[in-house]
Amino acid sequence: MAAQGTLMEPSTKPGDTAVPTEPGIVSVVVPVVERTDDLMGVYRAFARELEKRSEVFEFLFVFDGRFAPPAELIALSREKKGVRILRFVREFGETAALRIGIEKSRGDLVLTLPAYFQVQPEGVGQLLDAIAAGADMAVAHRSPRLDNWLNRMQSRAFQRMVGGVTDQQFHDMACGVRAMRRAVAEALPLYGDLHRFIPALALREGYRVDEVPLAQHPSDARIRVYRPSVYFRRLIDIAAFFFLAKFTERPLRFFGLVGSVFLISGAVLSLVLLVQRFEGQGIANRPALLLAVLLVALGVQLIGLGLVGEIIVHLRAPHRRAYRVRERT
Amino acid sequence: MASVLATPGAIGPVLSVVAPLYNESQNVRPLVEWILQALESYPHAFEIILVDDGSRDDTWEQVRAAAADPRVHGLNLGRNVGQTAAMMAGFDHARGQVIVSLDGDLQNDPRDIPALVSKLEEGYDLVCGWRRQRQDKLLLRKVPSWVANRLIRRLTGVPITDNGCSLKAYRRELLDRIPLYAEQHRFIPALSASVGARIAEMPVRHHARRFGESKYGLSRTFKVLVDLLTLKMITTFRSRPLVGFAVAAIPAFGAALVFGALWLVSLTNFGPEKASALVFPGAGLLSVGAAFYLFMLGLVAEVALSSEPEHLNDTPTASEVR
Repeated sequence: MAAQGTLMEPSTKPGDTAVPTEPGIVSVVVPVVERTDDLMGVYRAFARELEKRSEVFEFLFVFDGRFAPPAELIALSREKKGVRILRFVREFGETAALRIGIEKSRGDLVLTLPAYFQVQPEGVGQLLDAIAAGADMAVAHRSPRLDNWLNRMQSRAFQRMVGGVTDQQFHDMACGVRAMRRAVAEALPLYGDLHRFIPALALREGYRVDEVPLAQHPSDARIRVYRPSVYFRRLIDIAAFFFLAKFTERPLRFFGLVGSVFLISGAVLSLVLLVQRFEGQGIANRPALLLAVLLVALGVQLIGLGLVGEIIVHLRAPHRRAYRVRERT
Repeated sequence: MASVLATPGAIGPVLSVVAPLYNESQNVRPLVEWILQALESYPHAFEIILVDDGSRDDTWEQVRAAAADPRVHGLNLGRNVGQTAAMMAGFDHARGQVIVSLDGDLQNDPRDIPALVSKLEEGYDLVCGWRRQRQDKLLLRKVPSWVANRLIRRLTGVPITDNGCSLKAYRRELLDRIPLYAEQHRFIPALSASVGARIAEMPVRHHARRFGESKYGLSRTFKVLVDLLTLKMITTFRSRPLVGFAVAAIPAFGAALVFGALWLVSLTNFGPEKASALVFPGAGLLSVGAAFYLFMLGLVAEVALSSEPEHLNDTPTASEVR
């Protein structure tokens, strides 16, 4: 059984027994999704760096359904207690892989790494140093960047679109090399495709996020072109994140705004039609009346949707706090 | 009525004073001194909780200095989360049976605290300060506030003149029942009334700002209006949202009936060639659709509610009659 890795579904039932955390351990979580090359190389290089700093660490590889753990890695996990492999029964995506990795790891510090070289391994210590210096999360910012203009352009467009929403500007939110305290990792609302926004999510939960420039690895700089469906999904992700960031506490502010635009324009149009009716113009055969009624109906429905959102937020309020206490006397 | 404050042998403070601070560096010291002075003759143990809401000046250093006094505690939120969340942080960490909140900008007068607390002891759950002589800019602060207070009063039926005044005294049990989020601190009286709290209001002193800048402006109008709609929904239809949505569906249904009637009229009066324009039946169907949709939304709200059956706010307040 262990040879195949553990077969499992990502589940975070509240009753799940929590793995006891151990202080002083760095848990390295490596989600193997979408792209992987030289997994053993990644392991060796980063393990060497952590050993140099004489950190106690464990590696947790989470394989999404499509990928099978290579035999060499399985052999390693049998040999070393600090190397563990989890495998999903089917594809659940990177966010789920990260969540399960965090859940099943036990270090009080979590370091996430992509399954390929994104940054030069030498810099990883700087992330841990940033945490030691008081940050709750330290994210790598690939700099100097070796990417060609196409990659840079895509990346910049993404940062621009997301950047407008967050309180703090991030240079490289998409970089998967991040260190964080366990409390932060567990507080992140990781579902859907939100892993791309992890720094912003941590910020929103009230944590301090530092950016650390790390040199980009040359193998990360190859041209990235995706299928159009990937870009479409990315755009939807951004829209979802935008909504979550701005309106999770007050959904009616959003739905109310859109809804009242419909409602008011519908009301104005109805009024105009009413006045025209009394001036003798018939309205029974004009589609304008249909438009007016449609606008009013849409507006009312949108406001109703917002109110349902408000009820849900209100019901969750006893369990949710919008602040974190950083320091107390 | 037995005073909750007279619990003999109670450990820890009986009264907690909570003040959120945002860039109030110069105000911290005088604020703490004022509060300590005002509570000099207070017979029980008390604590002061200063919440630094992510100030960018040296407010936190000032708070730390003030916390040399064992009765003063500081909370640093590290990030600006807004007044409601900052107050909530203070409430969550307050240990007293009675909690008083006030602004950190010295516009409220701590000398009013003992009066508020003794009013609370008369048998209220919430005592609101009322800034009878408000020392603020007329057009930017007083007029919008007057309009907002009128609206809140009309909509919720809670007769409080000054909802915006931060100087308030609460019983612990009340705060446990109204979890505050977003910008709800304005609606504390209405929310409290909806869980059955006994509310009193008393005039308090108000001073013009001495140091620092006011952090409010006019831009909040739309937000407050929208929040009011939410407040109405939450306070009136909390435990039966379907009723609220059904009520909202009535006008839509009425409109559908009107359009249907108009169609019949045009059918009988003008004959089928004109009535076949389909505008009236179309409008009628749209309205029926809207009504139906609203009703269905109400059902979704019921589903949301049923997933939190032990919801705090549905528990009625009951006091034993002796």
